[in-house]
Amino acid sequence: MTIYNYLRKELLFFLSCFLMALFVLSGCQKQPDLQFGSTYTDDNTGANIVVVDTSTINVYTVYVDSTATAATGYQYVGTYNDQYLGTVSSRSYFQVAPPSALPVLDPRFDIYDSIGMILYFKRANPYYGDTTQTQTYVVNQVVDTLFQLAPFQRGWFSNSVLPLGPALGSTSVLIAPNIPYTSQGTGDTVRIRMDDNLGQTLFNMVYDKSDTVKQTGIFENWFNGLCISPGPGAPAGIIDGFKDSCVMRIYYRANAEISSESFIDFPLYNKSSQWNNVTVNRTGKAISNLILPTALAQIPPATISSAIGNIGYVQTIGGLNVKLTFPYLSSIALRRDYIGLLRATLTVRPVPGSFSQIWRLPPAVGIYATDLNNLIGAPLAAVGTAGAQTGSLVLDYFNPLNTAYTYDVTNFVKVQITNPSQTALQTGLMLSVPAPANTASFNRLMIADQTYPLSQQISLSVYYISLFPHQ
Amino acid sequence: MKLSILITLLTVSSLGAIAQNNFSPYSQMGLGDIDQGFYNRTTGLGETGIAYRSNRYIINNNPASFSALTNQFFTMETSIRGTFVDYYGQPVDVASTQSGDITFRRLAMAIKAAKHWGTSIGLVPYATSNYEWNVPYYLQGSNQQVANHYYTGHGSVNKAYWANSVEFFNHLSLGVEAGYIFGDINQKDILQNGTTGATLTSTQNDIYLQNIYMTYGMQLYGHLGKHWDYALGGVYSQKSALLASPNKLVLDNDSAVLQNEQLPDGYIYLPNSFGAGLSITHNQHYTWVADYRYSNWNGVQRLNSYPGQDYNIISSERGSMGFEISKKKTFFNNRIELSYFQSGLYYSNSYLQINGKQIHDMGVSTGFGVNSLKTPLAYAITLTYGIKGTTQNDLIRENYFNLNIVINYGAIWFTKGRKFD
Repeated sequence: MTIYNYLRKELLFFLSCFLMALFVLSGCQKQPDLQFGSTYTDDNTGANIVVVDTSTINVYTVYVDSTATAATGYQYVGTYNDQYLGTVSSRSYFQVAPPSALPVLDPRFDIYDSIGMILYFKRANPYYGDTTQTQTYVVNQVVDTLFQLAPFQRGWFSNSVLPLGPALGSTSVLIAPNIPYTSQGTGDTVRIRMDDNLGQTLFNMVYDKSDTVKQTGIFENWFNGLCISPGPGAPAGIIDGFKDSCVMRIYYRANAEISSESFIDFPLYNKSSQWNNVTVNRTGKAISNLILPTALAQIPPATISSAIGNIGYVQTIGGLNVKLTFPYLSSIALRRDYIGLLRATLTVRPVPGSFSQIWRLPPAVGIYATDLNNLIGAPLAAVGTAGAQTGSLVLDYFNPLNTAYTYDVTNFVKVQITNPSQTALQTGLMLSVPAPANTASFNRLMIADQTYPLSQQISLSVYYISLFPHQ
Repeated sequence: MKLSILITLLTVSSLGAIAQNNFSPYSQMGLGDIDQGFYNRTTGLGETGIAYRSNRYIINNNPASFSALTNQFFTMETSIRGTFVDYYGQPVDVASTQSGDITFRRLAMAIKAAKHWGTSIGLVPYATSNYEWNVPYYLQGSNQQVANHYYTGHGSVNKAYWANSVEFFNHLSLGVEAGYIFGDINQKDILQNGTTGATLTSTQNDIYLQNIYMTYGMQLYGHLGKHWDYALGGVYSQKSALLASPNKLVLDNDSAVLQNEQLPDGYIYLPNSFGAGLSITHNQHYTWVADYRYSNWNGVQRLNSYPGQDYNIISSERGSMGFEISKKKTFFNNRIELSYFQSGLYYSNSYLQINGKQIHDMGVSTGFGVNSLKTPLAYAITLTYGIKGTTQNDLIRENYFNLNIVINYGAIWFTKGRKFD
């Protein structure tokens, strides 16, 4: 035998190759697909996921007496009778301004004809209610009030009301909003014939080049403004949102060598001073028991759903939002097997039969933090995202029970489930229509509280990681 | 110096690679797949070697064998194994029925430290586990929402040993092996979203095992006339209580630790085991060997608590035999082996009884080895084809093919300054 007492280069080279091959080839492992083993595994040795969807949810309707309905871009006019909310009406207050350049009129040739209000309903303008119903619109002049002149400037809200003079004119019209078409046969335009006394007065002022029509301030102080309201009597069934580019127009005939029709426009002035006054008559409805504010400055009152028909009402433009509290949430964390929260999902279901293609649901309902002050706080973000949630509405008119808003409320539950604060019971979530629809949409949501059957009620699903001690 | 670096490198690499092994559905039970292989020269003989003695190779089938090494001879062996398996049975998805891998199996060194004293150290696998499967289930509290348990187990229990054997009267060798068992049995349960597959939570159950496991060996050998040699062997492993330290780690879906609990220690007993073997050699050319081994798992059944459920641990046994042809040449009055050819067969009943069936393993092997005359290396290549398990009673049968390569390095040490080239 050849005997060595040292390592040869060949040996080192060979072993190096061997080691390299080992590490390369050991990564070549592949695996078959076997459905074997579940029978022989003790299921209780690992963590499991437990779903708790029976948490008590208190549903409150929080009422605020006004919303900022000025300068929304739309003049909401109309009225409808809602099965749940009562009679909802809206009227639009606004100002008009004299023309910037006055025409030169000659009474020998130029003859006053008429005055009217022109409203535009463009395609995709908002509306709510039954579009097959004819709606009456009435124009009144605002009286006895200085209109947005210093020092009386203020913000306008949905509950802002000014006294009105006698009606200056009215019309009844049916609007097909998606075409758009009006029964007046004037395309997307609604015309309201107004009082000729007012028209003749303004026509004369223009002829006289009166300071009243030459200076906007004097004109506003004299004229005050206009209000377009739904007609009196039984509600017609719809609120239409007209563009805030309406005009008051004086028609006259200019007689020259060739007689022609002419007009003088008084356009809408200062859009921020246009607002929609929303009123609701809840008589005879369950919501008539809603607790209303009794003082100017107070916490918005919250009414438990059991007092108002077992429903939570969301129509933010009407001051209605829903607050949810979870009084027994902490009991989940006290379970023996609870070791951590995985996620939590809130499912909000509308009352069956409360919505249709006429009584449409808000396409987006935001979810916000709230506390004992019943105010809308910061938007609640889903886990892993920074944006606000809007409910991801699943809308199914054919299977209405499938209709639901769903929210990831993990971030809220994670804090609340172990919240030791004394105010924890008043801490909750607020459901509210997000901007800009919060002041520009009448879509409403009737939330079924937990007196409804399981598949129809609001529910919170808490997924927690479960492990019993010493398994 | 170079040798120490090499040894260190091999040891580290073996620790890293020894845990990898082929997909084995039965390894989820008990301590895993208890390795029946020795990955040495006897692999081609169906792992038959209780009575086998070699003057060059490390025969760790029996700790009494090391006294057979050539005087002052240092030898080192390492083994690599490639395994390719076909799976059969009702639980097997016909679209994916095969697996294969290549793993490091063994590192051992031995030296004839004195005229009648041989000693060896090494690292060998004791048991391994490697499995994966999915179990869909309804979330607790829901009859609609489905999640998925994805179970995996990838662990190994290894044995580092130091064995010594001493020869008496030129016909009797006694040996003792002190094995240090260490490693872990683990199972990871990953709960996944039934739709997206995203991880919801995971639980890792580890049981860390460690203790000494003693094995005693004996070989009695001699001549039967002018042309025959014989050897009788016996091994005995003493029941040992492995300290079992369970640990449970629970992570949430963001991999944040929810619980990392060290559970109370316990014990898992390895059983009394014994084996007996016979070897007969004719003209130092032909050798017949036979072994029988028995492990009394029934004796520790009540002492042990194993992971899982619905299976039994029962006593195991293994029988094997082999035949070897050795080609030798005489140099300066010394007979030097140039090459050898081996074949063997084996049958075993494993320590697992599932669905009323004890898991069997049987196969045939053949091997070929060459001892280099120009280098200090020797090589052995072994092929084994075996069948493990059954398709009856909803079980799985594995038809496997193993390719085992053994590399042996040998040199004379303690030459007192003399060099040979």
